[in-house]
Amino acid sequence: MAELSRQRRFVTPGPDETLEQLALRALPDESPEAGADLIRSWNLHIFAMRRPPGLLLGSDVVFVEPPLG
Amino acid sequence: MAEAVIVGAEMVAGHDGTVELLVRLRHPNGAEGPVVLDEETGLNLMAACGAASVEDLTGQSWRKIVEGVRCST
Amino acid sequence: MFDLIVRGGTVVDGSGQPGFAGDVAVKDGRIAAVGEVEGEARRVIDAAGRIVAPGFIDPHTHFDVQLLWDGAARPALEHGVTCVVPGNCSLSLAPIKADDRRRVVGMFQQIEEMPPEAFTTAFDWTWEDFAGYRAAIEDGLSINVAPLVGHSVIRLWVMGAAAQERAATADEITAMQDLLRECLAAGAVGLSTSFVDVDETGRPVPSRFAQFEELDALAAVLGEYGRMLQCVPEFYATDITIARIDQLAELSLKHGIPTTFSPLFDTSAVPDNAPRAIARVEEQFARGARVWPQMQTRPIDISFSLLRPSLFFARLPRWVRVLRQPLDQRLAALRDPDTVEKMVGDLGPDGGEAMMGRLIVRGGDAAPAGLVGKTLSEVARERGQVPARALIELSLENGLDVAFLSASQGHQSTDRIGPMLAHPLVHIGASDGGAHLASFSTYGDTGYLFSEFVRKAGAMSLEKAVAKITAETADIWGLKDRGRLAPGLAADIVVFDAKSIDRADELPAFDMPGDGMRYVRAARGVDTVLVNGEVAYADGGYTDSRSGVVCV
Repeated sequence: MAELSRQRRFVTPGPDETLEQLALRALPDESPEAGADLIRSWNLHIFAMRRPPGLLLGSDVVFVEPPLG
Repeated sequence: MAEAVIVGAEMVAGHDGTVELLVRLRHPNGAEGPVVLDEETGLNLMAACGAASVEDLTGQSWRKIVEGVRCST
Repeated sequence: MFDLIVRGGTVVDGSGQPGFAGDVAVKDGRIAAVGEVEGEARRVIDAAGRIVAPGFIDPHTHFDVQLLWDGAARPALEHGVTCVVPGNCSLSLAPIKADDRRRVVGMFQQIEEMPPEAFTTAFDWTWEDFAGYRAAIEDGLSINVAPLVGHSVIRLWVMGAAAQERAATADEITAMQDLLRECLAAGAVGLSTSFVDVDETGRPVPSRFAQFEELDALAAVLGEYGRMLQCVPEFYATDITIARIDQLAELSLKHGIPTTFSPLFDTSAVPDNAPRAIARVEEQFARGARVWPQMQTRPIDISFSLLRPSLFFARLPRWVRVLRQPLDQRLAALRDPDTVEKMVGDLGPDGGEAMMGRLIVRGGDAAPAGLVGKTLSEVARERGQVPARALIELSLENGLDVAFLSASQGHQSTDRIGPMLAHPLVHIGASDGGAHLASFSTYGDTGYLFSEFVRKAGAMSLEKAVAKITAETADIWGLKDRGRLAPGLAADIVVFDAKSIDRADELPAFDMPGDGMRYVRAARGVDTVLVNGEVAYADGGYTDSRSGVVCV
């Protein structure tokens, strides 16, 4: 099977998973608060546009790293 | 700690025929990425930043975008 | 004896091969012969100097509601479209329990902008299941319909209000699978889902509350039938689009299904958006996945009025300040001569000619009929004013309810989009026919394909353009009976003038239930449209034919 080029890594939220729990799962080396802050800054498509704010959806693409340089 | 900042913003034509605001963020790793805001959120972002024009958004923290959406709801 | 022969045209059969002089004969709703046809027919259509092609297929529409009172999906059919795919973006009109109708109507109105009367007076809502919806539209069809079933309504049927609140349980997912099977058996050609749509309160539609595991389970059912999964991804956010492409590819490979996402836009603000997405599609096709990006032909127009603040003025601080005020204060400011003088002055010495002169006065609202379609520059000249002042005063004279249109503000670079539309892995579609009724016209994209990308830009041959919206579309969607002029296939045929086929100017029409308004574009250069062998449109008018079917 042909190789895929490297793209930005993402996860999808689990059922009832909070942002802090997701941050802990995706960024275990960060504190939950710092990890959540990073996740927010990398995923403004969720945190800038969601009503109600902060609602995480099972279908969301949540990036766990910044855009690739 | 370094954090993502707005390095540019411009109006774009939204899929639904409205004007949307495309905000370009530069992250601490030097990479840039766009965020598209609907008309109301874009106007609220400008208000939250005290921006008289979209050019004034440059240099603002990504956190202002979240403030913008809070103002919209 | 044939039923009908289209004689003496240039046959462009959908294969992409060069057109040839010939005839197309029809019997019992099917193509009986193609080439130099001998023999007689009960009716002969003279196609001298015209192109004879398979009927066009529009793979992304929202005609679900309109089809209940208008079986031609007007004006789609007069543009040569003989098959539409409704039910996109996770929403269809079945299966829906009676108790859930109000909730779904809100979602439909958000997307389609259809007046409430469309749901209360235009039809009898007698069905709940997919077979019932099919029966409700089938007798009145003069266009063919290949309907998708929406993920959001499947979820709502199984979970009720919880569909817009939480993940599904294993039992609920099993129930959704069973329901999807039932819909596919009743004629659905696939499942649609959405990652962006919201209801009338701004809350995400039910499909967005699904875990990937739920979508995977539903895709497994699509795999049993070899059917399509359609999704609408986030716009202009390339990294997310690529993530969605990868998700679709995973499902395509795992379950052996075709998938499509729509729309994919080109924009000068993010110039690598469409090229990067297409490059990812190429990588995934190389692995064996089928992930078809749908790209629309028409550019995006934007519109605004002074009734609401608009980012159109985002480079004019004083205008932003004035227009952000509550309505009474805004009106007071716009009536204040000093304020207006300063606002006009902000536009510089040309009074807004460069920024606003090409704005077009739209109809459908309080705009005086005599001004509809004129540029603000023309209106300003007639009034002896500069454009900025004319915009303000014209708005004030009509309660601010005058909309102005700024044409071709996005997805407008023909030089860039032409090669993308011609790309073998790009699926021409995403018209949204039947949606955004009060915002802009979603009809005539096929005419625009020929006028802009074939005739003007030469981005592809006429034969290639025909193939893209006929045979290739039929192949992508598995519509085995459609898309080609070949003996034995359904006789969906369009006769058009290659030199003039186009979309006409956008105009308001008050032909929705309750005299509701929508923007439409009439067809140009389309002579005759046959659906399953019967003439459904000819000489500028619709016939009484009801030969459309739900096709699979």
